[in-house]
Amino acid sequence: MLKNYFKIAFRNLWKRKGYSAINILGLSIGMASAMLILLWIQNELNYDRGYEKSDRLYTMYNRDKFNGEMWAWNSTPKIMAPTIKHDYPEVEDAARFNNSTFLVSVGEKKLNVRGAFTDSSFLTMFSFPLISGNATRALTGKYSIVLTQKTAKKLFGNEDAMGKTVLIDSNANFTVTAVLKDLPNNTSFDFEYLLPWAYMEKLGWNDKYWGNNSVKTYVLLKPGASQIAFDKKVKNITTSHSDESEQVFSYPLSRQHLYSKNENGRLVDGQIETVRLFAIIAAFILLIACINFMNLSTARSEKRAKEVGIRKVSGALRSSLIAQFMGESVLLAAIAFIFALIAVQLSLPAFGQLVGKDLFIEYGNLLYWTFAIGFIIFTGVLAGSYPAFYLSGFSPVKVLKGTFKKMNAIVTPRKVLVILQFTFAIILIISTIIIEHQIKYAQNRDAGYTRNNLIFTISQGDVDKNYLLIKNDLLRSGAVTSISKSANPITQRWSDGWGYSWEGSTESDKKLDFTRLGSDADFIKTIGVKLKEGRDIDVYNFPTDSTAIMLNETAVKQMHLKNPIGQIIRNGDHNAHVVGVIEDFILESPFEKTVNPMMIMGPASDVFGVIHMKLNPANATAVNIAKTEKIFKQYNPQYPFEYVFADESYAKKFKEQQRTGTLATLFAGLTVFISCLGLFGLATYMAENRIKEIGVRKVLGASVLSITSLLSKDFLILVIISLVIASPVAWWAMDKWLQNYSYHVAVEWWVFAGAGIVSIVIALATVSYQAVKAALANPVKSLRTE
Amino acid sequence: MINITGLEKIYRTEEVETVALNKLSFEVKDGEFVAVMGPSGCGKSTLLNILGLLDDPDEGSFLFNGIEVAKFNERKRAELRKRNIGFVFQSFNLIDELTVFENVELPLIYLGIKSDERNKRVEEVLDKVQIMHRRNHYPQQLSGGQQQRVAVARAVVNKPKLILADEPTGNLDSSNGNEVMEMLTDLNEQGTTIIMVTHSEHDARYSHRIIRMLDGQTVTENILV
Repeated sequence: MLKNYFKIAFRNLWKRKGYSAINILGLSIGMASAMLILLWIQNELNYDRGYEKSDRLYTMYNRDKFNGEMWAWNSTPKIMAPTIKHDYPEVEDAARFNNSTFLVSVGEKKLNVRGAFTDSSFLTMFSFPLISGNATRALTGKYSIVLTQKTAKKLFGNEDAMGKTVLIDSNANFTVTAVLKDLPNNTSFDFEYLLPWAYMEKLGWNDKYWGNNSVKTYVLLKPGASQIAFDKKVKNITTSHSDESEQVFSYPLSRQHLYSKNENGRLVDGQIETVRLFAIIAAFILLIACINFMNLSTARSEKRAKEVGIRKVSGALRSSLIAQFMGESVLLAAIAFIFALIAVQLSLPAFGQLVGKDLFIEYGNLLYWTFAIGFIIFTGVLAGSYPAFYLSGFSPVKVLKGTFKKMNAIVTPRKVLVILQFTFAIILIISTIIIEHQIKYAQNRDAGYTRNNLIFTISQGDVDKNYLLIKNDLLRSGAVTSISKSANPITQRWSDGWGYSWEGSTESDKKLDFTRLGSDADFIKTIGVKLKEGRDIDVYNFPTDSTAIMLNETAVKQMHLKNPIGQIIRNGDHNAHVVGVIEDFILESPFEKTVNPMMIMGPASDVFGVIHMKLNPANATAVNIAKTEKIFKQYNPQYPFEYVFADESYAKKFKEQQRTGTLATLFAGLTVFISCLGLFGLATYMAENRIKEIGVRKVLGASVLSITSLLSKDFLILVIISLVIASPVAWWAMDKWLQNYSYHVAVEWWVFAGAGIVSIVIALATVSYQAVKAALANPVKSLRTE
Repeated sequence: MINITGLEKIYRTEEVETVALNKLSFEVKDGEFVAVMGPSGCGKSTLLNILGLLDDPDEGSFLFNGIEVAKFNERKRAELRKRNIGFVFQSFNLIDELTVFENVELPLIYLGIKSDERNKRVEEVLDKVQIMHRRNHYPQQLSGGQQQRVAVARAVVNKPKLILADEPTGNLDSSNGNEVMEMLTDLNEQGTTIIMVTHSEHDARYSHRIIRMLDGQTVTENILV
């Protein structure tokens, strides 16, 4: 019986190649899209879940109130981990973790890559697989280093790295004590090497200050220990050791990636929302591809009706016919799956790049294949169930006697399905337009400073020691028109702080959180921000400026300062004085309507590790860069000169949104394409079916135009209904999305009009080919064949 | 074999009520060859559909080999049908995607007969209707007469007790038509009961008895043999 089914299925596919091609192409695209999304979702859902002790690993968080709102964040004091480990018996182990970039070199091979300081317990807690070395002992020495396989290969080629020496920052030799397998693609950790915490102490970078939230703290609870009980005890760890006001809690590491959005001090949702959204998109794209199959198979049901009748007369039960038709759609899904798999394999690198992940299919993994078979059957059944029930329900009496009539009701399932397809396609089109509009809107926003010709570099090696020499040479060379040192790049927030007081400030003002930057001199000239009053910090002409402060307008406003210049701002024993006020500029997100209060502080405040330079616009950029590099190499020969353009760095602020936009465009395009494939198939069928009617109309004098519009009208109505349904849904969804950004566009009517015109034009173009072809056909021919 | 009494079938649409069978009663004995005649719309086809268990009557009794089948459900009807009844249609009704051999094989597949046995029986019957040489052809590649021979082969391959033929020569020229009628006569002589709906007096003369119908009722019965 199965053989008979397969035979007829294959012959049917082969006989109607056009329909088969439309079905297979549509299903392949739908399945490939769903598979790509599912691969990404699989990666997301397994984030930080692959460690042996994942179920007992927690990240420590702070919770505190600022400006009336509770916040939770996971940078913690360095003293926290050892304190927890010592004082809490339910804790098996704890580790600090702090990313840091050093120049790592072996002979002439130099790498300026990201590493991290961590406690020796890190490797046993997280069970990253080791290629060589011992997890317990690898980070116990002060001068031990653990490399990833990739870094070891870069530094030592194919030689065994174990026991060899690596130079860190040209001043300390480290021995390789372990080599790790490269990090998996679903870990939140990002490092190429690990250095022992002991070396952090050696550098003098360690501190025991409970108010300095600067590192991540991870704890491993003992088996069976209760997180709730632990949280109850650990809640006041910071307040009991200091005057700080933060409460502390633990959060499962396995949840951190997906559920980390702060909502009044609680961590809820976050990335999981995106995962859910894409799961919905995947389901819909698959459904839309399946709808093509449903519509085309039921549309040409007359052609199968006779077969159904004969089989029933020959003794077939309805159930065996259902099984037969389901079998056909599963077979079709299996063929489509093969094409989809090829498409996924080919597009995976590009898609991986798009989503910023290294995704791959584990061909050797039996689970994948089990899933693949399940996926094929699911798709086949989804696509085939409705046609199977529809076709198998035909009465043999009617179909064999030729009295069988196709449905011609005002509302048919087929029309409903087409509307469903186009509704989803139009929602995606509208979303794409709004997302792109929103990105453009934020990109065109005035950032409040000039990014042109502005570069920055991280100060490494001897740069700081030779800074003044470098500065003078740069200015003299004409490559740079001004230069300024700071604590962080102009496009990133690295530091913030609270606990400040000033004349007239209240107790609650101590919880005003300032974004902090630094400057030695020429901040305004280099960055291009606008001075509102006072003057720029200049520690070279005004030595007391080492404790000077410039405030932004928002800070002045929120501090309620009438005459900011000359104000003394205190923080513990430290006093600083305001010398200038600058206009607000965007340091963080261009999607935030307001900027945070900001302090630009003199050099006494911090280590200034970032140098901003304004390149001379009179010269070619390449010339400026070459000259600058030469001067840096002269004073800091051990290090490569690495720099970042401020405008490129600023552009990265849109990366997330652009990714969403690109994905929305991609899937909108695919959805439209699949829907149009189906529409094309239906139009072909319709033209075939109404060939006699068209002939009669033409004989009676109908014009080509009137027939074309007659045939196109039915489809147009469906698209317009879809638009009516899609518009409010898209409006609701996009309004919700825009609420994530306080600086956002309004959803305007032209978006819907635009999407409507686009979808109507596309649908019309799809249908009209068949409509015109039918209208142009010679009526004599079509009438004679009847 | 067949005993119907007071059979009624009414078709209703929103506006019209059509009485297709009006308290129809008759009997067909084992081994009989009966022709049913009458003008279009007299209820011949409805009768054939009910006799073939493709349709059910609204009222009345239908005894098939002594068993009341009028109220059988779809599953039971299908079971009875596939074991006992073969159909021959005016328009042949072969599946275009299957070869001659596969078309004839179909009823045996639904009877769950093993492949070896199927091959044997299909070859036997193809031989009998002299179409063996075209066993691997598709229906479109055959003439009308050949197609109807295949249809007859399909109808008899499961050795049914009853063959229902609905204007079996309606789409054929006279020589092909005669051939098909000869085949039916042969089958009847071998013991198969045949009920045939026809417009053709010529064809009807092959039968033992002619039932003439009008407005859902039998009007006359002519015994020919």
